[in-house]
Amino acid sequence: MAMTSTSQVPRLLALVPYLQAHPDADLAATASVFNVSQRQLVADLKVLWFCGLPGGAPGDLIEVDMDALDAGTIRLTNAEFLARPQRFTPEEALSLIVALRAIEEMADADLGSAVRSARAKLEAAVGGGADRVDIAVAAGQEGIRGELADAIAAGQAVRLTYHGASRGVETDPVVDPVALGTRDGYGYLTAWAHERRAWRTYRLDRIVAVTPTGAAVGDHGPVPALASGWLDDRPDAAEVTLDLRPEGRWITEYHPMLSVTDLPEGGTRVRMLVADPGWFRRLLLRLGPAVTRVDPPEAAASAIDAAREAVAQAGAFTEAP
Amino acid sequence: MNLTICLLMARRFVEREQIRELVEGYRGLGDAAFERTFERDKDDLRALGVPVEMGSNSSLFPDEVGYRIRRSDFELPAIDFTAAETAALGVASSVWDDARLGGEAAKALAKLRASGLDPDASRVAAFTPTVGAREPAFEVLWEAVLAARPVAFAYRGLDRVVEPWRLVNRTGAWYLIGLDRTRGEGRSFKVSRIESDPVLVDGSVTEPDPAVVERHLASLHARRDNEAVVAVRDGAAPDLTRFAEPAGVPAPPGFSAWRVRVSADAAGDLAWHGADVVVLEPAALADAVRTHLEAVAAWR
Repeated sequence: MAMTSTSQVPRLLALVPYLQAHPDADLAATASVFNVSQRQLVADLKVLWFCGLPGGAPGDLIEVDMDALDAGTIRLTNAEFLARPQRFTPEEALSLIVALRAIEEMADADLGSAVRSARAKLEAAVGGGADRVDIAVAAGQEGIRGELADAIAAGQAVRLTYHGASRGVETDPVVDPVALGTRDGYGYLTAWAHERRAWRTYRLDRIVAVTPTGAAVGDHGPVPALASGWLDDRPDAAEVTLDLRPEGRWITEYHPMLSVTDLPEGGTRVRMLVADPGWFRRLLLRLGPAVTRVDPPEAAASAIDAAREAVAQAGAFTEAP
Repeated sequence: MNLTICLLMARRFVEREQIRELVEGYRGLGDAAFERTFERDKDDLRALGVPVEMGSNSSLFPDEVGYRIRRSDFELPAIDFTAAETAALGVASSVWDDARLGGEAAKALAKLRASGLDPDASRVAAFTPTVGAREPAFEVLWEAVLAARPVAFAYRGLDRVVEPWRLVNRTGAWYLIGLDRTRGEGRSFKVSRIESDPVLVDGSVTEPDPAVVERHLASLHARRDNEAVVAVRDGAAPDLTRFAEPAGVPAPPGFSAWRVRVSADAAGDLAWHGADVVVLEPAALADAVRTHLEAVAAWR
């Protein structure tokens, strides 16, 4: 015991039954299951060699075949007394159950029912408390997700009917779909857009229809990770500084910021990168009087023009509807 | 590790002196060193969730205490997953965009694999969502919910003690729902707006009325209680008209009138559409949008 560390013991207690359930396990694959380096795993196995039945006679100890280990295979014997893993800790159980909830939100009908029943079995096994943490994702309709998943699995290009946000109009791009994922509580499709000849992400709750084209998808090289948003380091992104009244501070929670500083006279100064002028115009229109300063001032020009046009238009409507 | 195996194998309580003789690593220790090491190891195991029991084998000599781990308390019960359920479990460890919780989920999955399950992640990889927990206050709130312990933090300028009921994620943001003891009422807190490092405090959490929890959960969804009639440029603002009905009133050429549901302070949301959307009714909302837009128009 003196040679095992506190974090090592729970892993060893899971490792022993794992290696019995998986005879001749691969060293690298096992290390990745237990989220440790191969070196750490070999150190674990050397500790196990000194573990075993009380008494400590040679035949009572766990045996690890060191020759097989040198060849990258783990062969463990004489450990029948530890055939099952330890129960979940509350934290393990809850993190797994919440993860399943998130998958359920993204799944199509088939996977959704499998995730639901798997979660119910886990919850029954760990007892109460699993409903204390919950997740909802804006991932559109189950049917849309199912059609996209089918197209991804079949390698088929599709035509989307898409309600784009930044331009506020409906488009129908033809895309090669490759993956579904989430970011910041929204579900997205990552796909190669034929017309733009570039990778694009589409919000699932804005896709209203998916039509198969019958064409096979092409090879467009590595798929970009979804982790980065509009703040991607695009060469054409411009840095903008906004001063906000308190009622405008919410944007710091919804959009990535380069910096957020509270101003001594009240209010907040934020620095952000803007890659899409149309999106920024709409952000300024939405914030309206909550913005007290835009720097550089040219960044606000298009919002000012749009506001004037809208005010003039509303005036014309009320005079002669 | 050997202590665990020793206590797990025993059918009866094992007395200290027996443990000292049996367990590799204790045998060579002096009296004081053994006592110290054994007590520390025993506490460590309990902290890891290993149920080390203390008791006596004899009702005649209750002072002869020993230790054991009951196999049924220790072992993960067998759970019978179907192939589809097993596949779904496979991607669960990659959902958390958070090292600590991702690690916990990975440990749980390793235990399932150790019980003979083999999830094949690739089959459902297309659906892998990502859940973050970037809010600084999140970790302590997660512990508070798990342990059902009250937690103290500052929110909107007030120091509060809250009994946590639920921790929920809605469109990417975490909310804590609980009983605000300071105010004596249930309410929801946006985790990113918590103004101090939360601290666990002594006491317990009273299980809430499910209906009260439901009401708070429902209130986290955006409220769209008000109705408005808007003229929308044809083909524009589909997100506004998608769930709307035609209003059946005349609109200028190139526009259609729609009856839409909006939140109480919708001026900013409608101004976002610029000249593509004009509010026709109610007059108060039309005025609010015009005032909002005039503020932007006056920047130059």
